[in-house]
Formats: sequence, C-alpha cells, structure tokens
Amino acid sequence: MNPAFSLFDMWPALAAGAVGALIPSKKDWKLRAGLGLVGALLVLFTIRTWTGPVLAEGETPREWPNLLNALIFLPLLGALGVVFLPRQAPRAIQRFTLAVLGVGFVLSLALLSVPMSKGWHFQYVHEWIPQLGIRYHVAVDGISVWLVLLTTFTTPLAVLASFGSIKTRMKDLCFSYLLLQGAMIASFVALDLFLFYLAFELMLVPMYIMIGIWGGADKIKASVKFFLYTMFGSVLMLSAILYMVWTYTKITGAPSFDLLALSRVMLPHAPQGFMKFGPQELCFWAFAIAFFIKVPMFPVHTWLPDAHVQAPTGGSVILAAIMLKVGTYGYLRFAMGLFPYAAGTASANLAGVAVLGGILYGALCAWKQDDVKKLVAYSSVAHLGYVMLGLFGSTPSGIQGAILQMVNHGLSTGALFLLVGVVYDRRHTRMVDEFGGLAKVMPVYATLWLIVTFASIGVPGTNGFVGEFMIIMGTYVSPRLGKFAGIDATLAAAGVILGAVYMLSVTQKMFFGPLSNPKNKRLSDVNGREAFALAPLVVMIFIIGFFPSMFTDRMKDAVSAFDLRFRDTFELAKSHGQKPPELIDIDDASFLKGAPPLGKAAVEAERKEREDAEKAKKAEGAKK
Amino acid sequence: MSVYLALAPMLIIALGGCGLMLAEAYAHFTDEKDKGPSSELAIPTAVTLFVAAAMAAGLWMKGPETIEGFRSVAPYLLLDRFTLFFTVVTCLGGGLAALLAGGYLPEHNLDRGEFYPLLIFSTLGCVILAASGDLLSLFLGLETMSLGVYAMTGFRRGSARSAEAALKYFLLGSFAAALLLYGGALLYGATGHTDLVGIGQVLAKGGRLPYPMVVFAFTLILAGLAFKVSAVPFHMWAPDAYEGAPTPAMSFMSVAVKSAAFAMMLRVLVLSFSDARFGSWSSGWPPILALMAVATMIIANLVAGRQESVKRMLAYSSIAHAGYVLVGVVAIMKVGAEAQASVLFYLLGYTVSTAGAVGALILMGHRGAEAVSYEDLAGIGRRHPGAAFAMSFFLLSLAGVPPSAGFFGKLYVFRAAIGAGFYWLAVIGLLSSVIGAYYYLRVMVYMYMREPAPGAPVATPMKSGMVTTALVLSGILVILLGILPGSSIQIAIEAATKVGGLAALRDACGEGCTVQRRALSPSAFPGSPSREPNSLRPPTHASSHANAPSPRRLRGVLRRAAARLQGPARGQQRGAFRLRVRVRAGDRVGRGDVGRRPDQAGGDRADEQPDQAPRVRRAGGGGRGHRPLQGGSAAGRAGAHPGGVS
Repeated sequence: MNPAFSLFDMWPALAAGAVGALIPSKKDWKLRAGLGLVGALLVLFTIRTWTGPVLAEGETPREWPNLLNALIFLPLLGALGVVFLPRQAPRAIQRFTLAVLGVGFVLSLALLSVPMSKGWHFQYVHEWIPQLGIRYHVAVDGISVWLVLLTTFTTPLAVLASFGSIKTRMKDLCFSYLLLQGAMIASFVALDLFLFYLAFELMLVPMYIMIGIWGGADKIKASVKFFLYTMFGSVLMLSAILYMVWTYTKITGAPSFDLLALSRVMLPHAPQGFMKFGPQELCFWAFAIAFFIKVPMFPVHTWLPDAHVQAPTGGSVILAAIMLKVGTYGYLRFAMGLFPYAAGTASANLAGVAVLGGILYGALCAWKQDDVKKLVAYSSVAHLGYVMLGLFGSTPSGIQGAILQMVNHGLSTGALFLLVGVVYDRRHTRMVDEFGGLAKVMPVYATLWLIVTFASIGVPGTNGFVGEFMIIMGTYVSPRLGKFAGIDATLAAAGVILGAVYMLSVTQKMFFGPLSNPKNKRLSDVNGREAFALAPLVVMIFIIGFFPSMFTDRMKDAVSAFDLRFRDTFELAKSHGQKPPELIDIDDASFLKGAPPLGKAAVEAERKEREDAEKAKKAEGAKK
Repeated sequence: MSVYLALAPMLIIALGGCGLMLAEAYAHFTDEKDKGPSSELAIPTAVTLFVAAAMAAGLWMKGPETIEGFRSVAPYLLLDRFTLFFTVVTCLGGGLAALLAGGYLPEHNLDRGEFYPLLIFSTLGCVILAASGDLLSLFLGLETMSLGVYAMTGFRRGSARSAEAALKYFLLGSFAAALLLYGGALLYGATGHTDLVGIGQVLAKGGRLPYPMVVFAFTLILAGLAFKVSAVPFHMWAPDAYEGAPTPAMSFMSVAVKSAAFAMMLRVLVLSFSDARFGSWSSGWPPILALMAVATMIIANLVAGRQESVKRMLAYSSIAHAGYVLVGVVAIMKVGAEAQASVLFYLLGYTVSTAGAVGALILMGHRGAEAVSYEDLAGIGRRHPGAAFAMSFFLLSLAGVPPSAGFFGKLYVFRAAIGAGFYWLAVIGLLSSVIGAYYYLRVMVYMYMREPAPGAPVATPMKSGMVTTALVLSGILVILLGILPGSSIQIAIEAATKVGGLAALRDACGEGCTVQRRALSPSAFPGSPSREPNSLRPPTHASSHANAPSPRRLRGVLRRAAARLQGPARGQQRGAFRLRVRVRAGDRVGRGDVGRRPDQAGGDRADEQPDQAPRVRRAGGGGRGHRPLQGGSAAGRAGAHPGGVS
C-alpha cells in the first residue's frame, strides 16, 4: 500500500490527535502531546475495531498462544522487578510501573486481532500438578476478552491518577498495583478452577495493603472487613470446588480442576420445593455466595461502602472498575456455567433481590449520602444490580447487556472515583455540604463530571444507556423470571429514574448554586495528570455509546453459545432429577477444546504422548 | 553392615550430637563478643541435621526397601519411606531451629552451649518416634524427644516465665507420657503384644479380648497422643510453654515435635487401631478425633484472635493447625493413603511456614527488646521492610493464601476430607481458617498500618546471618511447595502408601517377621488386594523353619481359603464356632509366650497353619474399607521378633 495513501487513510486519527492537542488552554506541551496521542489512538482503535480483523479468504487467524501468559506474567515479573528498585527513587519506580502497565495494554490490544468466533481463543494449557489434575489453563472468549481489555485499559489510568495524590511508600504501592494487575487478569482468563481460586485470593492481599496503608481514617477496619468478607465467600467456593473435583474423580477415575471437564458433571438436584437443597444447589450457593459478596449484592454489600470510602483514589477505581467484575464474571462463567439448573431455578428469587436490594435500595441509599464517595459506592451497588439482573434473566440480550454494563460501569464509575479524588486532593473532604458552585471555579472539571454523570445515569448517547437498555429488554422477555419478568423490568426501569435523582441532585448541590464556601474560591481546575487519566475514560464513554455493536458483535457468538449450553443443560438437569451424579455430553466442540481427556487411562495416555513428543523434540534438538 | 546404611540418618544425628557435646565440653569459649558457643555450635548443629536430612533423601532415592538387612531392627525401628519422610521434616525443623538459635541466643544473653546438644538429641528422639513400630521404642523416642524440649523450654534460667513454662510442660508432658505408657501396658496385657502391628492383628481378629481393658487402654493412648499434638481439650500447656520458651525452642516445639507427634499418632492409629471396630465411625476413634478437630480449629482460632502477644498467638495458631491436620487424620479411615499423604504434606508445609514466621519474629527483636506483642511490631513495615515482608509472607502462608505451602496443604487436607465424605468437617475447617486469617492479618495491620505509640520504642531488627539464612531457606521452600507441589505430593503419597500399606510392612519387617497387615482401604491402594496375602507368613519358629511352607505356597493356600470363605462358609455356624475356639487357643498360647524367646514358643503350632488360614474374613461389599481381609494368628507374634529368623 502506498504510504502516503495510508497516511491519508488515517486522517480521522490525525484530526482527532490535532483536536486533542488543541484542547488544553495552558501552554503545557506534555499535556498537549498526551491528549493528542489519546485522541489519535482512540480513533484508530475505533476504526480498527469497527472494521474488524481483515482476513484473506480461507485464512485462519493466527493466535499467539503466549499472549495471555505475557499479560499475566508481565505485571507479576514487574512486581518482582519493583522489589529490586531503590526505594529512594520514587520517580523511577513510577515510570517503571507505568511502562509495564502500558506495555501490557498494548499487548492486550492484540486480543482484538482475531475474530471472536465462539469457543476459546489464545488458549494455553500446561500441566501443573498432574497428581491432582491441576493444569495451567488460560483462554479468552467473547465474554472475558472485554474484561481483560477493561483491566489493561483502566489500571494504568488509575495508577497514573494515584501518583498525584499518594507520595509515600511508592515502592509498596507499585508492587501492590502490579501484583493486583497480574492476579486480576489471571482471574478473568483462568479456565482451571484452581488457578481461578488462586487468582481470586491473591487479589485480596494487594488491595488489602492498599486500603490499609494509604486509606482514610478508618482504614484498618475497612481493610480487614474487605479481606474477611471476601475470604469467607471464597473458602465456601473452595469447598464446592473440592466437592466437584471429587465427584468428577469418582466418575472418571482421574481428578481434574478444569472448568471444561467439570462442566460435564451433572450433580443431582433437590426435589421441587422451598428451601430444599441437593448437592447441585449446595454447590451453586457456595459459588454464588462467594461471588455475591464480591459483586456485592444486597445483603452482603456492607463491606463495599467502607472499603470504597477508606481506599485511596487509585484503589477505589480498581476496586470498582475491575475487582467487582470478578464477582459478576465469576457468577456468569462458573456459577451459571457449572450449575445451570440450580442457577436457573434460583434466578427468579435472586432477580427480585437484585432489583429491590440492589437497584432500588442501593439507589435510595446513594441518594441519602453526604459523602460523595459513599454515594458513588452505593451507586455501584445499584449498577451492579442491573448487571446481576441481566445475568439472572439469562437471555442472550440480557447477558450481552450485562457484559457491556460491566465494562460501562468500570469506565463510568472509575471516572467518577477519579473525579471525586480530584476534589478530595484539593479540599481533603468529600462532604457534599462543603461544596457548591464549583462550576464557576472549575469549569473543565464540572464538564467532565456532567458527562460522566450522564453516562452513569444512562442518558442515550452514552454507554450506560446501551447496557441498561439491553438488560431491561432481556429481563422483560426472560422465561427464567416467569411472571415476575415484567415487574422486574418495570422496577429496573424505575431504578434508572432514581439514578438520575441521586446523581443529578448531588451534581446540583456541588456544582451549581452560589459559591458560598470561601474555601472553594481558589480551587484550581484539573491538572495535566488528571486530565490525561480522565480523557480516555470520557472518550470511551462516547465510543461505546455511539458504536455499541463494535462490542456486542464480538461477544454475540460466545454469549449465544453460552446461552444454548445453559438451556440445554438446564433441560438435561430437569430430566436427570435426583439420580446420582453422572457425566453429560456437551454438544459443543468449540467449548470442549482443550479439555482434559476423560478417564484415567486417557489422561495417562495423553501425558505419555506429550512426554514422547517432548523427548522426540529434544532428541531432534540434540541431533541438530 | 547395610543396616547401618539404613540407620545412617539416625546415626549421623546421634554421632553428631555426641561430637557436639564433646566439643561443647572441651572447647574454651573466650569471653569475646563474637566467640560465644553459638557461633561455634549453631552451624555444626544445623549442618549435622541437614546432612541427616540429605542422607534420608538419598536413601529415599536409593529406596530403603532395596537395602539388605534394613528390616533387622523391625519392629522396633521401621526404616520405611514414612520414616525417611519424617526424618527430613523433623531434621528440617531442627536445623532451622538451630540456625534461629544461633542468632537468638547470643543476642539475648542466653549463649550457653547446652542448647545445641539438647536440640540435636531431641531431634533424634523425633526421628526415633517417627520410626518406631513398637510401644517400647515409641516410648523411648518420646522421652528422648521430650526431655530435651523440657530443658530447652526452661533455658532462660533467670526468667520466672520460662521456669513456669518448663515446669508446666514437664509435669503435663510426663503425665501424658504416663498415660501413654499405662495405656501401652494395658494393651500389652490384653493382646500380648508390644509391637503396634501385632496389637493391630489381635484387635482385628477380635475374639475374646478383654474389651473394657482394651478400650480403657485405647482411651489413655488417645489422650496421650492428643496431648502431644496439643489438640483441644488437651492443649492447655501449649500456649504457656510456647510463650515461656526461648523463641527458637518454641519454633522447634511447634514444628519438629509436633510433626513427630503426628507421626506417632499415625503409626499408632493406623497400625494398631484401624480394624473394623476401632477404625469405624460408629465405634472407633474417627468420631472422637473429628470432634477434637472441630473443637481445636474453632477454639484455637477464636482464642488466638484475642491474644495480645504475637508469640502466644503463634502458639494458638500452632494448635489450630493441629486441628487441620486432625481433619486429615480422620479422613484416613475412609480414603487411606490419600489422606495420609495430605497429612504428611501439610506437616511439611506447616514446618517451613511456622519456622519462617517464628524466625521473622526473632529477627524483629534485639538485645533487651524482644519483639513479642503486637505493639512491638507497630510501624516496622515502614522502617524495616525486609523483616516485615518476611513476616507477612510466612503469615500469609499460614493463613492459607495462595500460592504458598500453607494454602496447598490446606487444599490437600480438605480435599481428602471431602473425598472421605466429611463435608461438614471440611466446611468447618475452611470457615475457621477465615477466623484464622483475622489474626494473621492483625500482625500485618500492626506492621504496616499502625505507628508505634508516641514514646514507645520502635522494634529494631537484629542482624544475624544465620536467622536470615533460615528465613531464606524456609521462604524458598514455602514458595516452591506452593507453586510446584507436584513432586513433593508424589513423595508424600509414596511415604503414605508405605505405612499401613501391606507392602510397606512387609518391606519394613521382612521375611523374618510375621507381620500381617490389611490395607486400610482396598480402594486406597490400587492393586493391593491381590498382593495382600503376600505378606502373610505363618507364625513360625526357628526349629520348624525348614518345614514351614514357603511364603509363596502359603499365599496360594490362603488365597484359595479366602475364596472359599467368601461364599456360604460365612454363615456356617459350626465352622464359625470352631474357628472361635481356635482363636482362643491361639490367644492363650500367644499370651503365654510373652516371656519366652520366640524360638521356644509354640513349637507345636506349625501344623495348625492350614486350619488357621480359613479364618480369613471377607471385606464386606460396603463402602467401609476397614473390614480386615484376613485375621492373623495371635501367635503370629512369636516370629515378630527379628530373632525368629536369625
């Protein structure tokens, strides 16, 4: 291709870059260059994602199998590297951390280089502890790819923003960020339950340290509460995992922790009736409680406001934008994937809890908060209520909307926390009463806040609208919710209005009206670092709002395959009844790609084959 | 000669201990600061123990079964893989304690050389305890181990606390030892055996045993065992003793002594009390131990959360960990080898994690200001990040946060419990480990998130190469066991299948010994049912040795007899009656033989063999794997001594 032509072809990106560079009013060339770059890259991203990967006829997309390993281990190795950097050079540590996260983000864009057809992509399997059937098994599909991208996209911004407010113990901070990043990505791509559990637990430690060291006045209580709540859930999940593995071992003779293998296990369920539990229900609830705590869902959401209020800005952003998604993602992938029947039968009740306890109660709580950060935290409870509602409805549209809403919530709530951090850094208070009329002194800040607020409310044209619309639509037609589907959908729609009530009322109180408090008269507007951290989030809000099909197209196949499997297994479970556990056939080769072979003999044969192949390879190498 | 090869780890420890004692006695330690006994003795002690561990590892690779004559000390010392595993674990615990002591004792003005010989002989006692297959050698090992530890506990002579701890530990420890001894004596009276396998056979065979006596004896033994592993409600001594003891001694107590005590528990329960009666859920030890495990996990974790002293918290945490191990022990009754392997792996992981945590606590103190309470640790995370990092690392392993040895051990133990069908036990254990996480986190809270009270002294870590070495060593092991546990799991499985497993006992006791074992659970040892009769060796004596049927022929006879008895023979009352009579006759002879040399005993019984063979009972088709596949003869003990062949 003619280079001049391709340059011409990139004119929208160049134009966006120019616009970005012209936005800042001050003569800050760093900021100009940075914003220009952000604008150009985002437009390029949109164009490339819009057209999708260009493949010649009959060409199979090439996937680099180590991509996910690189995404997981790059931050982990980076964390190790931070340990060896000198404590006296915080700037060097900061740059190193940002560089590692930046490289991770660029690498993760390669995930979009293949069409997200159904089944697993970038799969990598490696024997880890063969005696217990534990394998290092990672892969993405159309569902998890967005969460991985959300992680690699949001974390660098959160880290960048937090460097503005946190000045002490930089080494510990960067170590925690990098460790957290590795664990979060691992939890989204793990297909082995052991690996998932490992990542799920490992995530707690850095976040615990982050809240506990750099948090607010009541940080210790908040951090311990956060850790113990989550751990309580996760040990319940661990016992259910062990039960599943044991059942699988009993049937096939060979143990396996692999999700694909365990998906074949059909556990007996309880006879119909209120509060009746069979093994399937018990295992489902063990998983579900772990994820509900993480999400968090009413009534186990009480750790969240504490943790958010006490956490430093960067920690809050990561906690809200990414870590909560581990709960919703885990519910979708593991609780629904492994126990379709129990999940299906419980979902009508759970949807009621999500609507009443999450969407409505969360919104009402948010309305009554004096502390802006607490308000945003409760708004998270409400927003995740939508996500969970979409998952409980388990219609393709609802699930797609839920996944999109996970991303949306990550972007808009992440941006809200960053914005709250901006005023907190200046005034060291977050009480709504302390502010008023800020739009006069901080016009840019007020503009950004309004945009993000609209996204959070779900005004058409922003990302929030798309997600909530799809979820409510999916809920309305959901067969799982039975006769409550309509009520749920109506109440959820009412929740949107409540969202407008609490968000707009706080906006009105903080930004408009008279500038009564003299302390606010000399506040400076957003600085370069903050603008640079916020700009990508704000732009992404519009990109998703205007071009949602870019995202939904890529998750469509995975979601419909999931939905089909879910429905099939549900029917199968109905006929299976209370019979002892047995293996079922999953009629989806793309799903079972990479699953361990069935039975002890097959497992051993496969191992032997692989060893032979390795030996042959070695021998060949020696010959050469 | 080659038996010495098999005994090499113990010999190395014993000779090393003697050498150290001589060196300590004859060396003239100058009063110069860096020339205390610790600087001379600590490293040799550690090296001796690590060499012994390495020797054990070497023997493992060579395979103890292949060494000729390794059975000649059976059943007093069973030199099987189980022993080798515990040799490594206890030597590791002892060696790490020696390194810690090398830093701790000079720092805190306790630098007297006796500590090291005490430590090393105590470790020898641990190894003997793990190896013993006879009540006599078991008691010997127990006392060898305990006496050294009593002395080490009271090592800080000037401190009333230390003296109190030592006295308490000594009195209660002797009491427990007396319970064990009394129980052993009663068992001997009831069964005519002191070797664990023989006791197991007699109990398995049933018949007219004085059951009240056996049950009483069993209760006493169980209490003694529970005391030694410090399970609730026999744990009262532990916190006081641990807190009063010098910290390296505490490390040794909570690591090596506890592992050896669990080895003893496994040996006794598995070899002697795993028959259909004592090993069953309805009438045996499993429910007792399960209750103890639940009580231990919950109470110890709850109480540990209320402590103000980190040292005392670690003492309670060590009790709590005994609870988790007990869960694995309970599961043995159902899943056999798997559960045993999980216990072994847990103990290994626990050893390195606890030694590391205690070592980090030692590292944080210096002369005159030992870090003991939470307050002492406040703010250390910012001032001395290295020490704080080490502490948090090991505490997270103890709390069971992956990827660490502690997490994997827990996973493995609870997996065994779930595999055995004890879901509730696993769930209680997992939930109580959440309570456990609270107090481990609390240490981190003080280290990282609190500043010392104004005016309070800030902990200053000592500088000691030896402590650092110990920490690095255990740190590497913790992370290795957490990330790549595959090979060590394999080792634990092998070690476990070689205790209680039939093949193992045959290996351990040899041809000359008529030890007969049933597999704990046929399903636990794939392929073992066919091999079971292998080890059956007729009770024989030297004079009839030539006439005795060869093991192979006998095997055939037995297999046929067993096959015959599967069917209707079970219901035949007359046959059963006859059998019972035989049993009684055998019993009497067996008991009468006690004082005599085996070759003088029961010379007229060689011809009874074919009749005894049909006493084989079949394991029921049910899930319980503890029905004996074969009953042995009480007279079997006649040949149980090595003298029988020589």
